[in-house]
Amino acid sequence: MNIQQTGVFWIIIFCLFVLGQTANAKDELNCTMCHKHRGLSRIDENGKFRLFYINQDLFSSSPHRRNRCSDCHTDIDRIPHKPAKKVDCTQECHITEPSGKKKFSHKTIAKTLSESVHGRYKWDGTLKSHQQDLPGCKDCHDQPLYRPLSFYKGESPGISKRGISRCKSCHKTGDFAESFYEHITSRLHKSRSPRELVKVCAKCHGDEEIRKRHELDDVITSYKETFHGKMVELGSERTPDCLDCHIVYGENVHLIESQTVATSAIYQNNLATTCRTAECHEKAGPQLASFQTHVTYSREKYPVQFYMLIFFKGLLALVMYFFLALIFLELLRRLFPCFSWNKEEYHAALDHQEIGHDKATDE
Amino acid sequence: MHKFEKLVFRDGEKFYYRFSIHQRVQHIFLFTSVILLALTGFPLRHPEEAWSKPLYEFMGGTEIAPMIHRLAGSVLLILFVYHTIYWIVLFMKNRILPLKREGKLTIRSFFHQVLSMEMIPNKKDLYDIIHLWKYLLYFTNRPPRHERMSWREKFDYFAPYWGIPILGPAGFVLWWRDEFSHIMPGFVLNIAYIMHTDEALLAVLFLFFVHWYNVHYAPEKFPAATVWLTGYLTEDEMIHEHYAEYVKVMIEHGLEEEIKPQHFGGATYQW
Repeated sequence: MNIQQTGVFWIIIFCLFVLGQTANAKDELNCTMCHKHRGLSRIDENGKFRLFYINQDLFSSSPHRRNRCSDCHTDIDRIPHKPAKKVDCTQECHITEPSGKKKFSHKTIAKTLSESVHGRYKWDGTLKSHQQDLPGCKDCHDQPLYRPLSFYKGESPGISKRGISRCKSCHKTGDFAESFYEHITSRLHKSRSPRELVKVCAKCHGDEEIRKRHELDDVITSYKETFHGKMVELGSERTPDCLDCHIVYGENVHLIESQTVATSAIYQNNLATTCRTAECHEKAGPQLASFQTHVTYSREKYPVQFYMLIFFKGLLALVMYFFLALIFLELLRRLFPCFSWNKEEYHAALDHQEIGHDKATDE
Repeated sequence: MHKFEKLVFRDGEKFYYRFSIHQRVQHIFLFTSVILLALTGFPLRHPEEAWSKPLYEFMGGTEIAPMIHRLAGSVLLILFVYHTIYWIVLFMKNRILPLKREGKLTIRSFFHQVLSMEMIPNKKDLYDIIHLWKYLLYFTNRPPRHERMSWREKFDYFAPYWGIPILGPAGFVLWWRDEFSHIMPGFVLNIAYIMHTDEALLAVLFLFFVHWYNVHYAPEKFPAATVWLTGYLTEDEMIHEHYAEYVKVMIEHGLEEEIKPQHFGGATYQW
């Protein structure tokens, strides 16, 4: 091999390497040089284990596949770098949003979130108490970090080959069709199964400390007591999770409002509409709204349920303890069948009490 | 309906009549539907237990298992109504119409007939319960002598009569919740839910521990009693469980000489 050939060989290798990377995001700073290693991790100042490994397969099928690392991690401009700041999802990234030709940003979503019950500011602009507990973007959009298409109720995930073939008949070059297909459909699908979604809400609503600070009921436990919760736990995709009832039908999922707000899905006057949404209890009457979803069995709040529970538990205990004691003593009696404190004489002939009154049999 | 022989001989053994083929078929419908209801209902009652998801998947998963549950529930409700009509018809045919033909039917004699029905609890049952506790606590060496229907069997029989009127309507309301919400408030579903789920636990625990002890686990029955298939009790079972009836039938058939002494479990008494 002469020098020319060797040069061509290395150029080809280099091109393959670089093109392989640019098929997804442009890795200008060559971040994956380090972050491709699975073991890249450390223990931070708070003693928390931090993993810095980026799975390229997951990343390349994620909604952020066309972003550069530095689009979100703006504070990093050299390698090696200092500990990165937390990503601010509301900053403008270098992607131009095609419909408005503007720099893209998640600001509008952050605004919706701030108007919801989970917003950190009150109506008058002052901070709420314990605002650090209230969720930001990454408290819900967390794991797995770069998830490909997932489920909507009853529908399976992934790219439909037949569907995408329509796009590909014109958009032949590169992975443009795949990328846009996922960009659009990932917003039409739910990114989590109902069971996973309940877990996301349970991160805070299942935390006793947080509940105490914000004076909240244990809505996760009470939800899991309902048929909705039970079917979801068993893997149903067609049963409502938290979002289905707590968001006005057709509204942005980030706008979860308090039950005291008149536009909320669970405001007293809106409950009937929420329950009777299409796909749910469409045929039901408005009275269905008086169903109590989050029953805590407290004597003050839910007296009927409380006393019914006591009644049935009492009945259960009475019947079962009576018969279990009887069975236990009877099995024990078999060990000493003839022992007795006072013995009776055997007589096959029966007295009147034994025979009882004479009866005709039914057949 | 023809009268059955109370005592038949097969290969020199005595067998005592208990259930007609009609009743045995009803029992098959009863336990099939109840077992299906329990298998499709209990995973939903305890969805977080390790066994519940595989069992629910086995029963058809979140789409099919509820259908099986509703079908089995419908069969059970129909059977309940059918059985009630069945004994009312028998009661009228065997007790009330003969009285009417003789012109002896009064309110008093009607109630006497109702209270003297085989399955109705009576004073003898109370004595038997007290006697059983005396026996179990070693105050007597003679086990109770039950008639054709012992108090335990009556309790077993009336358990569905308490359970189905609670479970059935509650399940029906939960099934047709959208339709019922037009005529009753949604709060009724909260009540129906507790009724259905808590009564189901009582029913299943009772069947599993008490009824299955009576017919499966008890040492002389293990692995299973056969009366639900054959309709007849063996002489041993008859002596153990229905000694009063046993003696009565033997005397009716002129077999006083062959009456065997009472025993309990496997043990015959040394009197």
